[in-house]
Amino acid sequence: MQNETSLIEFSPEKDPFRNSRKKSSRRWILAHIFHDTNKIFIFIVLFTTILTANLATIIFVFIGNAITAILNLNIPIFMNIFIIIIILSFTNPGMRLANFMLREVIAQRMERDTRKEFFINLLGKSQSFHDQQKIGELMARATDDVRTLNYFISPAVSLILESFTDLVVPVIYIAIFYPVQLIIEPIIFVILFLIALRSYINKIGPISFDLRMNFGLMDATLNESLTGIEVVKGTAQEDREIRKYLYNIQKYKDAFVKQGIVQAKYLPILLLALIITIAFGHSVLLFYLGLMNIGQIIAYLGILNLLYFPTNISIFVFAIIRLAGASAKRILEYMNMETKIDENINGVIKKIQGQILFENVSFKYPNSKNFVLKNLNFEIQPGKTVAIVGTTGAGKTTLTKLITRLYDVSEGRILIDGIDVRDYALKSLRSQISFIEQDVFLFSSSIFDNITFGRIGSLDEVIEVAKQAQAHEFISELPDEYYSEIGERGVQLSGGERQRIAIARAFLSDPPVLILDDSTSAIDSKTEDQIQFAIRNILRNRTTFLITHRLSQIRWADLILVLQNGELIAMGTHEDLLCNSEEYRKIFIKKFDLEEQKLIKGGLEECLSD
Amino acid sequence: MFIGLEAEEYDRVYSTSTLIRRIFSYFSPYKKQMILVITFLIISSLTSAIEPVIISIAINMVISSVDFTIIIFLIIIIFILTGSSWIFNYIRQKYSARVIGSVIYDIRKNAQNSVLNLDLSFFDKNPTGKIVSRINTDSNDFGDTVDLSIQVISSVVVLIILIIIVSLVNFILTLILLSAIPLFFLGTLLFTKFARKMTLLGQRALASVNSIIKESFSGIQIAKTFRQESKLYEKFNKVNKQAYSVNLRRAFTLNAIFPSLNLIQGVVLILLLYFGGNYVITGAINIGEFNLFIQSLNLIFFPLLTIASFWPQFQSGLSASERIFALIDTQPVVVQKNDIKSGKLKGKVEIQNLIFQYDKNKNVFENFSLKIEPGESVAIVGHTGAGKSSLAKLLARFYEYQGGEILIDGTSIRDYNLKEYRRQIGLISQTPFLWADTVENNIKYSNESASRDDVKQALEVSGGYEWIENLPEGLDTDVRERGNLLSMGQRQLVVFARVLLENPSILILDEATASIDPFTETKIQDALEKTIENRTSIIIAHRLWTVRHVDRIVVLDHGTIVEEGDHDELMKLGGYYANLYTVYFRHQSLQYIEDMGKSKV
Repeated sequence: MQNETSLIEFSPEKDPFRNSRKKSSRRWILAHIFHDTNKIFIFIVLFTTILTANLATIIFVFIGNAITAILNLNIPIFMNIFIIIIILSFTNPGMRLANFMLREVIAQRMERDTRKEFFINLLGKSQSFHDQQKIGELMARATDDVRTLNYFISPAVSLILESFTDLVVPVIYIAIFYPVQLIIEPIIFVILFLIALRSYINKIGPISFDLRMNFGLMDATLNESLTGIEVVKGTAQEDREIRKYLYNIQKYKDAFVKQGIVQAKYLPILLLALIITIAFGHSVLLFYLGLMNIGQIIAYLGILNLLYFPTNISIFVFAIIRLAGASAKRILEYMNMETKIDENINGVIKKIQGQILFENVSFKYPNSKNFVLKNLNFEIQPGKTVAIVGTTGAGKTTLTKLITRLYDVSEGRILIDGIDVRDYALKSLRSQISFIEQDVFLFSSSIFDNITFGRIGSLDEVIEVAKQAQAHEFISELPDEYYSEIGERGVQLSGGERQRIAIARAFLSDPPVLILDDSTSAIDSKTEDQIQFAIRNILRNRTTFLITHRLSQIRWADLILVLQNGELIAMGTHEDLLCNSEEYRKIFIKKFDLEEQKLIKGGLEECLSD
Repeated sequence: MFIGLEAEEYDRVYSTSTLIRRIFSYFSPYKKQMILVITFLIISSLTSAIEPVIISIAINMVISSVDFTIIIFLIIIIFILTGSSWIFNYIRQKYSARVIGSVIYDIRKNAQNSVLNLDLSFFDKNPTGKIVSRINTDSNDFGDTVDLSIQVISSVVVLIILIIIVSLVNFILTLILLSAIPLFFLGTLLFTKFARKMTLLGQRALASVNSIIKESFSGIQIAKTFRQESKLYEKFNKVNKQAYSVNLRRAFTLNAIFPSLNLIQGVVLILLLYFGGNYVITGAINIGEFNLFIQSLNLIFFPLLTIASFWPQFQSGLSASERIFALIDTQPVVVQKNDIKSGKLKGKVEIQNLIFQYDKNKNVFENFSLKIEPGESVAIVGHTGAGKSSLAKLLARFYEYQGGEILIDGTSIRDYNLKEYRRQIGLISQTPFLWADTVENNIKYSNESASRDDVKQALEVSGGYEWIENLPEGLDTDVRERGNLLSMGQRQLVVFARVLLENPSILILDEATASIDPFTETKIQDALEKTIENRTSIIIAHRLWTVRHVDRIVVLDHGTIVEEGDHDELMKLGGYYANLYTVYFRHQSLQYIEDMGKSKV
């Protein structure tokens, strides 16, 4: 029974963006922009943007009038206008400041809220989802992409708004205060500007991309050469690495020069300058026709010069907008993913004893053609230990993932205590199966917190389990003992030590089924003893799947599964395998220089005849 | 020459004049282009500075009702000047992109070349990431600074010309105009300082957020198993809110710059209007000149901004170049005295009274001597810090020794041609490094001319070929960064195959300590057996099997040989080696494995 539901496992508060997420990235961004109190801010931002454009333009109109007053030697009027200009000159910067501040609030909120939304959403997704993700990708969404959305608001969209008003408002003022025909020049400029801008963006886009890509290659190549410097020197291949790098920096240089040339060809500035010149001529003509005075000409020129700002700014803005669109899509892609494992709330809830049966189990990943596990059949009784051995990629870890339903089997079934795992309530199933992974993850809090993460315990209980996990000794030697902080700013622990803390945690939570992926190795016997004892202690009284390379663990497991390419090529106890598997025999023969005769009691022939 | 000292402190301080001279030397191959750049720069600045003057003349003519055709003539001149200014600027930018691009190329080439020739101690002390950042990113910053410098020169020229022109018209008004300059600089400098501090705080806040997110996603499985999602959320919410307020404050600060500069502009405008207006009324200046001052105020805005933000950028550009030059100037410690071509070596190793210090005051080898015959296999054992890996690295000539001699086939390793010598040595390190390339190319790394069959043969001999067939694309499988696609054991097998293909006279092997699955381990044992056959081999041994199968074991303690012999002899002695065995090898024995099970209930 596979219902595809996207049950949310964690939801701390109301989610105002649920619907917009499903619709489109545009809608979603808009939902954030207009969220809550932002609406007021947006209104103020729009208002102040238009206002500042007006103020900047009107100052010139007044300057024109001031000049006229001067020429007419009209001092009182000049003084009046002068005072107005003073007021405007102080008001404008104030308005702009308010405008900038408010748009920043919207932008920073965008980043904060999208990050929070993403985090909550992902936290609520099931384990199956997370197991399929690369942390690096998730991080990039939560850091770089939300940052891009921030920049989208400020500076990108705000600058576009500003540029727009800075283009439109002056034209309107020209039409109002001066002969209407004078708007021809600025309008022609705006049209030509937009055409030139579009063409520029289309040219520079691929070139900038090229440049970034080449830089990335340069970085990767150099990084690799230096990381492998021992090999480079050992094989005397310095020249080869130099050649690789020269190739990369040449490509970078070519892209760099290309970009410089395209940037140099940016036309709008030229267009504006030429148009202003023509406009000057036009206004002079009008003067000679008696339709304008000198003050107005000067004001007119001043207003046209305001157009330089949007012309200069526009180059930077469009790149950000394109990036923002891509970022939004990526973030939404993750948030809208649904996992296909049914939580089965109404399923079986019972205390697991630990009998596990794999019946004709085959598995392939959802979007893949090849079977990773083929026709596995085995049974394990409660409390026994299964050692899973094989080379990398044989399917060892995948096998264990099926038990906790991180993925469901493609064929066959898995029974725990006689009940199909799919019939259990997922929470009940998962809370009774613990997993100690290869690279043990510990939270950056105290050792005590890490050990009691799943079950509250007193310090005495924690010390007790730590002793069983052979961790008490090294913990006691730390400055703050059990309260030592782990992590970047805390104590650094070795792989073996982390493993033993995870084992202590498992002791405390005491699951009936344990999956232990052991990849630690010890250089010295003392550490090896500790790891061995810790593992052997945790194996007791629970069904354990042990993925290990340690011959001692394998030798004494109740059942050994040998996997190769997803197939069970041998199965049984150590003695069974010595009989049946030549490769297994070879391990012991080779490693300990044993003779076949001595290895198998009674000899190989007797064994085969059983 | 103590390696430790030099490597750690390779950064040096250059005087500003030395730096600038050095920077200029990188530009001298491009003298012609630079001259073009400077010339066009000046011309284009001149033309843009003259435009407002002509407009002001035109305005005066308009007032005096001069003939319209003359005005048109002036306008045409302005038109042409504008057009040419743009063209000159285009040419200037094109050539400066070329020159800067070439200079950055040269700097990177020199830096990488220099770095690759340094000895290993340098790489021990300096993380790869920082070196890469210096060579790639710092050179970019340097390029940006040069570009900015050129723009600044242009701005300065424009500014100077404008100021000269207006000062000829009216002194007081010029003073008023000039008052904007120091105010601008002060404002920008203050802001830059404050902004940098805020940016740092912002980065730190963001780093906290990122680490919480990373941790949460990494530990999600555990959190879910124990249903502790809300704990993670609380932590996250706190730092997310913090980052919000810090970044908001930072953004406020940065955004206050432009309005402040506008304010300064506004104040100067008011003063200009007041005094200028008065001068027009009294007839001291005419309207055209008045307009010139008003226009100049706008024209100096962007150049002033460029110049004001120049200083900090210039400083950072200088630091960037300083860092790169320090890298280029670092001398390798390992220097050959001669250039003898080694040819195929027999593999006779003689170490005589070796003295080696890695860090000052810490002798690794004090009076160390060892002789190894061609084809002999020797295992080196000892506690950590005994000098095992140093010995291997000295033989590979990765470090320089301070006294004594290391002779291979009778010649000091200082006298050989280094590249040829190294080709005679096969080096397998503890953690094998593979290139992000196919299995085949990795094996052929030092033998580009080898055939696919050679590769298969090498694999066959070193543990077998079948495991390759289980890879998605066999020999053509891309093993990804550092060989991540393969297990540790598999990477070892690939490296064995590569070394076999190289067919070196001397093998130096630092055995892996990581856990390898028993099947692959068996293959590695096969590979090792084949590789040390008839080849001088020096093995830093961690496997019990190895010490039992070499010709001789050398036991090191603090740089001295304390015992020598084969495994059985040394065990009988019951001395240092026997003790070492108990600590490092006993748990690999069959006895241990059997004993382990007996206590299992």
